[in-house]
Amino acid sequence: MSPLLRIFLLLWREERASLSRGFLLSVAVLVAGGALLGLSGWFIVAAGAAGLAGIGIAFDVFRPSAGVRFLALGRTAARYGERLLTHDATLRALARLRVRLLERLSARDALTLSGLRSSETLNRLTADVDALDGIAIRLAFPIAAGAVTLALAFAVIAWLVTPLVAAMVTLPLALGGAAVLMVTGRAGIASAARAEAARQTFRSRAIDHLRGRTGLAFAGALPASHGMALNAEAEGRAAERHLARLDRWADTLVASAGLIAAAGALVIGGLLALADVIPPAAAAIGVFAALALTEVLAPLQRGVAEIGRMRDAAARVVPLLEEPVQDPAPGNPVSRDDTDLIELRDLAVAPPGSQIPLLPPLTLTVAAGETVALTGRSGRGKSTLLAAISGLSSPLSGEIRIAGHDLATLDESRLRGLLGYLPQRSALISGTVRDNLALAAPDATDTEMEALLDAVGLWPVLAGNGGLDMALGEAGSGLSGGESRRLALVRTLLRKPPALLLDEPTEGLDPASSAKVMAAIRSHLPHSAILIATHRQAEIKACNRSLAI
Amino acid sequence: MRFLKRPTPDLATQRLTGALAPEAARIRRAARLTTIAALLWPAMAALVALSFGALVTGTATTAQILGASAAFLAIGALRMGLSVRASALLDRSADVVLAAERAALLSTQERLSPRAEGRANSAAVAALLVDKLPHLRPYIMRARPAAMRAAIVPLVLLALSATMSWTVALILMVAGPLIPVFMALVGLAAREASEKQMDEIGTLSTLLSERLGALLDIRLLDARPRMLRDFEDRAESLRERTMAVLRVAFLSSTVLELFSAIGVAMVAVYVGFALLGELGFGAYATPLTLTEGVFLLMLAPEFFQPLRDLAASWHDKAAALAVARDLTEIEAGDDSTILGDGATATPLPGAAPIRLRGLSLGAMRFPDLDIAPGASVAFTGPSGSGKSTLIALIGGLVAPDAGQVLIGDKPVGPETADAWRARIAWVPQSPHFLRGPLRDTLTLGLPEADADSIARGLALASAEDVVARLPQGLETPLGESGAGVSGGEARRLMLARAALSGRPVILADEPTADLDAETAADITEALCALSDKGATVIVATHDAALAAAMGTRIDLGHARQESAA
Repeated sequence: MSPLLRIFLLLWREERASLSRGFLLSVAVLVAGGALLGLSGWFIVAAGAAGLAGIGIAFDVFRPSAGVRFLALGRTAARYGERLLTHDATLRALARLRVRLLERLSARDALTLSGLRSSETLNRLTADVDALDGIAIRLAFPIAAGAVTLALAFAVIAWLVTPLVAAMVTLPLALGGAAVLMVTGRAGIASAARAEAARQTFRSRAIDHLRGRTGLAFAGALPASHGMALNAEAEGRAAERHLARLDRWADTLVASAGLIAAAGALVIGGLLALADVIPPAAAAIGVFAALALTEVLAPLQRGVAEIGRMRDAAARVVPLLEEPVQDPAPGNPVSRDDTDLIELRDLAVAPPGSQIPLLPPLTLTVAAGETVALTGRSGRGKSTLLAAISGLSSPLSGEIRIAGHDLATLDESRLRGLLGYLPQRSALISGTVRDNLALAAPDATDTEMEALLDAVGLWPVLAGNGGLDMALGEAGSGLSGGESRRLALVRTLLRKPPALLLDEPTEGLDPASSAKVMAAIRSHLPHSAILIATHRQAEIKACNRSLAI
Repeated sequence: MRFLKRPTPDLATQRLTGALAPEAARIRRAARLTTIAALLWPAMAALVALSFGALVTGTATTAQILGASAAFLAIGALRMGLSVRASALLDRSADVVLAAERAALLSTQERLSPRAEGRANSAAVAALLVDKLPHLRPYIMRARPAAMRAAIVPLVLLALSATMSWTVALILMVAGPLIPVFMALVGLAAREASEKQMDEIGTLSTLLSERLGALLDIRLLDARPRMLRDFEDRAESLRERTMAVLRVAFLSSTVLELFSAIGVAMVAVYVGFALLGELGFGAYATPLTLTEGVFLLMLAPEFFQPLRDLAASWHDKAAALAVARDLTEIEAGDDSTILGDGATATPLPGAAPIRLRGLSLGAMRFPDLDIAPGASVAFTGPSGSGKSTLIALIGGLVAPDAGQVLIGDKPVGPETADAWRARIAWVPQSPHFLRGPLRDTLTLGLPEADADSIARGLALASAEDVVARLPQGLETPLGESGAGVSGGEARRLMLARAALSGRPVILADEPTADLDAETAADITEALCALSDKGATVIVATHDAALAAAMGTRIDLGHARQESAA
């Protein structure tokens, strides 16, 4: 089954009501359009014939003219409803796709999750999801509504005029539509994939080029790098030009189908009228309906590039959306072992993808109320060690116990309740400061939040900007590096973890502020076991003991 | 629609016109073709009308019907050909404009001095280059031709209708111009609001990307279910707000369609009654004929079509103007650029002293100074005293307001900067690793670097262990900011690059900032080793240990006070 169809069915299952409402109105609009012009043509030709025959008085003008007015107004109303309902369906589908994606991805392992921090991966993924937004409204609806409308038109014209005229009107349009989909849709997918790949390459090369521009200038490589970026750009435009050419083919196919339908209806209807098989007014129905029904194909005209792009994106997104989601089981509160909260026995770790231990096996216990510093120069494996203790990566060998439980036996929710971890890099979210903190600790009161923010020296910064309601931009922008760091720390502390791992918690702060933050951590969590990876004197001084690795 | 335009073209409109100027002739030609195509319709309508006229009056022959159909097909094909030709021309124009604007933007941004950093962030410039500039395409492809058609086609069709029936012309004349009036009244405010909402849909994508980027934190905070609920709520409230606005916004296009639908229906009903002889007015001397009636009916929808096209292209125009506005903002921000082109050049010859003479930039004045070949100098002083700026001035990364940097007796200027920089190895404060293997970053601009020289460079910066720890050694891709190595390791790799380049001058901006003492000592040692090998080493630093290791220390805070006194 094609990935596009799978995504559509997935949406259909969850948003059936809104999608079918939108679909019915799409059909209503097309049908009313065809009927309006067909009826008008019939009305005028029939009225002309009656007028010439001198039987104008006997001609029932009111029903057709009321029909014309009804269809004109009804079509406009249906169009309004269609716009509203299809947008409603789009917005629902858009939310549904994203929630589903988040649900699946958020259950993945730590390595995948940290991989999602790369802007390249993120750009690609969000661009793919964005491309799929139109799947129902711009792809599935036009095709289905077009097919239904043409089938209805065939039946009605066959009944009112003759099957021959009906076939002459609807067949070229149906074939034209199918041809557009088959030929250009197929040819478009490769170019759409190429255009999208080139777009992402151009983006990453442009960013690389601009960020590295000073180094490139010293290396004398600025023009060469400029050329590399523009090569990707030219490649993308070449693919776009190919898509535009396909679009013109689609235009030609659609216009030809419309022309053949109208001219064919004129020939067949005219000849039948000449032979007195049907009245001229009936022949007019065919011609005018053909002119109006060309509209059925209009959405396909501009959709070629989009179809290719959707298929390209769907192929990558479908596996993500369809993978089964494993919810970490909700944990029960764990009775706390009040003594050795963090215990490491012969622990050996290696960086991701490597089997070579960074350090000799480490044995260490951190008791409740104790603060231990892991010191040593950068690159020695402090961060790798903390990641292993926090359960984000697997150690090569050895044992990790948190509050007396073997790490491997704790389910995720229980583990996170027991163990707080502030990694070296952390991400804030847009929204208010309160939103950021409530994400971690939904039950924390404003007073608690303010007190802790004040203790780490962050409150003076926030107070003048709305306090807890201070709005942060995308990924927490609006705060300096040191301020973001402290907000992330407060977020972790608010959860009151019995055991806490901190990776260089006061990076970027001067020694006095560092000392203040360290004191705040201890006074907020007097009974927690705290393990800190650090090389800063201010942090080491605040610890009970330090272990050099 | 003229009165909808703002009275004086603002900066964005001027910028947009400027961007299209080189292609203006081609775009006009294409717009003319689409106009001619639209004007072929009356001929096709006449063929259909004459056929039915003849069929009803009984004068039709087989030959006439076949002939009319064939002519209908032929003119239709011509019309199709014109449209395809026009869209090919427009596509070409859009392509040319896009390529030119992208190349120009990249060229100005890449030459921005590092002192201009923060003016425009690279990701934002990339978004403009990659995602936003293509919005010019639909504007060129649709909006421009639609504007020309709307100005010409309705008038011609109106005149044609008026030759047969003044009533039909009157109906069209009343319904037609009312469309823009009503659009102006009902639409503009609502459209503006709807634009805002469409922006918010963009925000949902941003939100998704942000949440995806924060998933690791969310898991660590055990906030996964809350995050999902919160995202769902936001999407739902976004939908509700959007729908509230859209209900109003769509009214404007519905009003537009209502007028065209009523217009067509009134024409049809009028013509029908007139043909029956029930309405004696509206046509000229002779009563309306069936041929004229059918012809008028077929003209009516085409009278409204250009106006509807124009209304539909409103979004294209708004998007293009938004891009133009972004461009004017970014271009207004440019100020200082690097000297030279950053291109490969034959290094300035000889070991010459670096002489600073009367340098000043903004409020900063720098002391005169001679740096002999092989000397080691540290610029010190509090933040804001101009340490990094002086390094940038020496490297030709920014032009001084007054004074000169002389190499021997050659001033560093646009002509000589590339050749001067070819002698300098640069150690930046925030290391940047190119995409692709580490080897590429290390040997950037050094095509002759081989395994031996790389090994020597790594040894000199004591960075062998850093490479040894990487999963694929020199072939490991480090990504743009050096993820996978720590800050200290990244600096050591940058020093290794300086060492293996063999360039005689080392310029280092805060090479030990934010490092632990041990790592900082390694860096200092490596710089001293390079100096011992005969390199001129110039650093900007607030690290006392590093400054002490250099032969000369210049306190810029102090020096400035002196020169001010």
